[in-house]
Amino acid sequence: MKTHLLLFLFALFFSYELSAQFGPENGVKASEPKFVLIQHATIMVKPGQTLTDADLLLQNGKIIQVGKNLKQDGAVALDYTGKVLVPSFIDMYSSVGLDPVTFKNNGWRPQLESNKEGAYYWNEAVHPELNAAAAYKAIENNSDQLQQSGFGFALTHHMDGIVRGSAAFVALGQTEVDKQLLAPKAAQVFSFSKGGSNQTYPSSQMGSIALLRQALYDLDYYSKNKALLPFSVSLSEWESQRNLPVIFKTEDKWEILRAQKIANEFKTNFLYIGSGNEYAIANELKSKGIKLVLPLVFPEAYEVNDPYLAREIPLSDLKHWETAPSNAMLLKKEGLDIAFTSFGLKNADQFWTAVRKVISRGLSPTDAMAALTTVPANWLGLSAQVGTLETGKWASFSVFSADPFAYEAQLLETWSLGEVRIWKSATSVQLLGTYALRIADENYELVVTGSSEKPQGKILLKTASDTLSTKATIQLKQQDVSIQFLSLATSNPQLIQLHAKALKNGLVLEGDGTDAKGAWFHWSAIQQQTTPITSPTAIKPDSTLYGQVWFPNMAFGSTQKAAEQTIIFKNATVWTNEKEGVIKGADVLVVGGKIKQVSRQDMAAPAGARVIDATGLHLTSGIIDEHSHIAISKGVNEGGQAISAEVSIADVVNPDDIDIYRQLAGGVTAAQLLHGSANPIGGQSALIKLKWGVNPDQMLIANAPKFIKCALGENVKQANWGDFNTVRFPQTRMGVEQVFYDGFYRAKAYQKEWDAFKAGKIKVAPRVDLELEVLAEILRSERFITCHSYIQSEINMLMHVADSMGFRINTFTHILEGYKVADKMHKHGVAGSTFSDWWAYKFEVNDAIPYNAALMTEQGVLVCINSDDAEMGRRLNQEAAKTVKYGGLSEEQAWKLVTLNPAKALHLDDQMGSVKAGKAADLVLWTANPLSIEARVSLTMVDGVVYYEEKEQAQKQLQIEQERTRILSLMLAANERGEASKAPQKKVKKHFHCDTLGEEATETENSH
Amino acid sequence: MKATIFILLLLLSFNSLSQRILLLHGTAHIGNGNIVESAAIGVVNDRIAFVKNSLTQTFNSKDWDTIINCNGQHFYPGLVSANNTLGLTEIDAVRATRDYNDVGDWNPHVRAQIAYNVESKVVETVRTNGVLLVQATPRGGWISGSSAVMKLSGWNWEDATVLADDGIHLNWPSDRTNYQAQKREIYTFFELAQTYAQAKSEQASDLRLEAMKACFKGQKRVYIHAESIQQIVDVIDFAAAFQLTFPVIVGGHDAYLVGAKLRDSKIPVMLSRVHSLPQREDELTYLPYQMPALLKQQGIAFCIQNDGDMQPMNTRNLPFQAGTTMAYGLSEEEALKAISLSVCQIMGIDKDYGTLEVGKKATFFVSKGPALDMRSNQLTTILVDGQFVSTSNFQEQLYFKYRQKYKTAAKAE
Repeated sequence: MKTHLLLFLFALFFSYELSAQFGPENGVKASEPKFVLIQHATIMVKPGQTLTDADLLLQNGKIIQVGKNLKQDGAVALDYTGKVLVPSFIDMYSSVGLDPVTFKNNGWRPQLESNKEGAYYWNEAVHPELNAAAAYKAIENNSDQLQQSGFGFALTHHMDGIVRGSAAFVALGQTEVDKQLLAPKAAQVFSFSKGGSNQTYPSSQMGSIALLRQALYDLDYYSKNKALLPFSVSLSEWESQRNLPVIFKTEDKWEILRAQKIANEFKTNFLYIGSGNEYAIANELKSKGIKLVLPLVFPEAYEVNDPYLAREIPLSDLKHWETAPSNAMLLKKEGLDIAFTSFGLKNADQFWTAVRKVISRGLSPTDAMAALTTVPANWLGLSAQVGTLETGKWASFSVFSADPFAYEAQLLETWSLGEVRIWKSATSVQLLGTYALRIADENYELVVTGSSEKPQGKILLKTASDTLSTKATIQLKQQDVSIQFLSLATSNPQLIQLHAKALKNGLVLEGDGTDAKGAWFHWSAIQQQTTPITSPTAIKPDSTLYGQVWFPNMAFGSTQKAAEQTIIFKNATVWTNEKEGVIKGADVLVVGGKIKQVSRQDMAAPAGARVIDATGLHLTSGIIDEHSHIAISKGVNEGGQAISAEVSIADVVNPDDIDIYRQLAGGVTAAQLLHGSANPIGGQSALIKLKWGVNPDQMLIANAPKFIKCALGENVKQANWGDFNTVRFPQTRMGVEQVFYDGFYRAKAYQKEWDAFKAGKIKVAPRVDLELEVLAEILRSERFITCHSYIQSEINMLMHVADSMGFRINTFTHILEGYKVADKMHKHGVAGSTFSDWWAYKFEVNDAIPYNAALMTEQGVLVCINSDDAEMGRRLNQEAAKTVKYGGLSEEQAWKLVTLNPAKALHLDDQMGSVKAGKAADLVLWTANPLSIEARVSLTMVDGVVYYEEKEQAQKQLQIEQERTRILSLMLAANERGEASKAPQKKVKKHFHCDTLGEEATETENSH
Repeated sequence: MKATIFILLLLLSFNSLSQRILLLHGTAHIGNGNIVESAAIGVVNDRIAFVKNSLTQTFNSKDWDTIINCNGQHFYPGLVSANNTLGLTEIDAVRATRDYNDVGDWNPHVRAQIAYNVESKVVETVRTNGVLLVQATPRGGWISGSSAVMKLSGWNWEDATVLADDGIHLNWPSDRTNYQAQKREIYTFFELAQTYAQAKSEQASDLRLEAMKACFKGQKRVYIHAESIQQIVDVIDFAAAFQLTFPVIVGGHDAYLVGAKLRDSKIPVMLSRVHSLPQREDELTYLPYQMPALLKQQGIAFCIQNDGDMQPMNTRNLPFQAGTTMAYGLSEEEALKAISLSVCQIMGIDKDYGTLEVGKKATFFVSKGPALDMRSNQLTTILVDGQFVSTSNFQEQLYFKYRQKYKTAAKAE
């Protein structure tokens, strides 16, 4: 044991010798480092262990010993009675000491390729070669905020882009830069944010996901085959980081789950920088063993004194405001490990306010301290060096006036690698109080208020009849006090300047002054009354100060997760969509999320079943929207390239979209969430069930057939996107055809190469190309195309392309001129998913007619009516009814356009699309014939779970209003306490449309 | 003088087509809330001569140029679409066809009437669903311009005009950060315009202020586009401050929250599109469907209009927007009134349009079934000011053409 310790100590000295300076000394050599012995301090050695009246022995920037009554010959002894030592905090998300990453700008035209010269990765958002250690500059004061907060270490990196490069673990403070770089490559950092790159790709979150995955595959391919490949600065540098921990910056709770899928795919793990709303899915995160670094930035309260304006704040914002400071407590309670970052805070005051808020919300002080010290040290594999004040670790700690986790303590000093920086003298003069001031035989009163750091003065002169007063400016520097004021003369007041030494800790001030004429005089002041210094306020924790988390945590969310029930509908008019047609007086039994039985006879309700009297009501299978863009996070189009088959909407499903609830209210139970139409080959679809208050994976239909969106016409040739959008190929329908041929030819070659490899004909595994993987799936008929299309020329063109490649186009969506080529469509076997009556919104829909659905149906084409619109999506029953008017379809035919036919088009008709025993219980109860203008949805269930009920709406509204009022009153109290606040702004719900570019939804008109 | 010539021209044109039309045995939805079963409607020249129960009357066929037996069908007054760019644009995405938004913040002098394209292909597809009048309305700026009530049938815009320059359209500010300043700007402009209007002496002509004059004399309506409570209560104050005779709120999403105030101020509301999503995440899912009934319950004069995405082409769904409110608190006849008589009353043309009543213009249609339900909205006859208008349109022609193509191909096989 002892030998070990000796060896360890030897290693420490040895390492110090190794780190000696290489350069010459200008002047004589500085003296050898001495021992420093801090005595009689309260030492918070590590979370959960505090020593009182303890000593700390330091040498060469390291801790030699911690304990009681330490002795060391030749040590400089310092008395730290009453002071508290806390290990320096570690900030895992920082860019301290680094300049912002710069990008070359192309001007106003879209930049499709990288502008970076050299052997770098093709996309500017992927820059693993950026090396934080190499670029690190210890600029004076640039880490002051961190140090004032108590941080002594930071993991710093170039905070920009998707693959950001290596992060350096640095010690903050005023030591030399070469000493600060404790671990030059301590981690690598990823995110889904493109950052400052001007390159068009990626323009969406799904694009970022695809790019990161492709880059990771490329890295793998490069490291296996680098002898054969041209040198890449980016990949070669990245290779050297492969064993480093990965920090992943997220902007929303769902991004953690998205990133975790990538971690699983590449059999690795990420450390997540959270966004603050993780509490809503704490359980989910726990089950995945997520490690989270939490921000300490909490939403500001809104100014809620104006009720008109307060109406504009959505309940989701109110609820988040209330619960965000409890995030750490709730996650810890769930059993997750957490750390904190000060990222986003503006000053040390904000940091400590936030930490104390977190503690006041019930996170234990020990856990809070661990989240700033031992947890990050452990995650970064640096526990042997930092995180506690134990022997052998870096002598980096902060000195407080009291335990900062228990009291509103003041930071006095920071020690970094054994070097001290004094922020505040603990023995500073205490000036606050009232003084008898005597100047030139005149008696005044000097009142000093404010704080010791910023004293404010007032000079009073009491006369027989009155009290005159004037403001005085007071400055205190150590013992030196200067006071300035305008004399109390009634006319023409003059400037009086006083200077004094503060004696007896401020009890006596004595010195000289000058009057307006510059004449010197002597003066003195004696304190009469002291303003007592308030002792630090203890933090009072209360772990119940957060709102109930709803599913989802917003308006119309449920307090309980909705559960599947056994339900029997009695005496309904059932639109079976089967050969039985519409049957009256039928009973339908739902068990285990499936339709158990459809019976014309009266059925007995199973025990415990909910019985719904459906007399006079119509029961149908749920509406299936073949074309929807709701419930998508950060971008519906990856329009950065003409082909973006590698991206998938399934990666970015957003369960917190109110439109999910609204569609349920319109009887929609399933939808294809499609990529937009910004490019010829867009992205993969998400086939979802409309479920409210669940996670994204629960919405995705298990084992659903694979789909991809393609597009033709004006959108893909960027016809209506402004005159600057003339760079990307294609700009004509001629070019569109060639994009398809090019993609599929390349995919064929790709397939051939992999086939050869799998057959053992070539030894080296080919590069994984996510785009071609997907195109090859299409060629193998393992993935179906839904293609946005309008006019007959392009429709026929794409069918020719498919025919020549030996596959079939599955669905043409929009297909407004489908009626002109319905015979060809029938022959090809493609479905048509159209609007009921839209036209006139752009040139290519000039020949669109509302009889389209009927004419295609007559020609034997499988026809669907879809929404492509969050508003229309909730009244697709009405849209279907229009085909009765335009073209005279029967009501049953019309109804199938939004139920059974889309189920068939999506290859899901084995499990949905009709009311039949064995199919999923995706059912809608209507107040009338669903095609009637008077029909309302009474109830919607998906997989046997009731997600919408009309009769609950009044109750829901009441619940929403009560919750709003409850939180608004809390917010008003916060306003009155003077907490930081912001003005409410009306938030217009934005939507994604086919042609929406970028990550943000828009308010612009839908141009499809 | 101009007006006299105009009326004269109209009379001449109708005199030359002097006719008597009798429609028999339909259910007449009057438009004011009433129904006449088994109705007979007599049209003489351009006006309705009578609406009677046909079973209790005898008619001499020789008295009529045209007799139409509408057995079991339904009569409706021509539906009216307020606040619409129909006729002012043809293809939304093609700039060359957009004629509704001109440069400038203060454009009361810009007139929709003369840009109205009565031959628009969109117009004919709207007409065939029963919408026979439109308030062609400019967009943009603080004051977008002057709207005009137009027929969906005619040879040219003069011919199609029902009421020229019926009102100006003021877009009430909604930007919270500059709200007070912007509101002040509007007051300032109106103060200027009011002073100009009240001045006795002949002034040098100012196109803008001239166009405003009639607003202060009760001859021109002031349509104020406003949605939120704050906007609406400020509009009420504004209308009172300038003693506007005919202020109208257009949009009025929050109107249901300040019902008593609106009722007392007697300001009618042209409600936003029924088929729209709630404006706030927390609002009830079907609030826009419920709004007409909410205003009716509070005694506020209102109608339904169709401003929004792709509005010209979507105007053909106006009957179904009204129909949708039938499931949310309005009766069928109340729903009809909200897109016929009520619109005409608000715009001030109810003397001639809006119902199937004696003396009104014969602008109505016959549908095989209830016209507010898409399945039965099947028009067999359309009359605009007593003249027959085609019940077909180019879209139906394309339908017939391609249907024929397939039939011929099938025969050939």
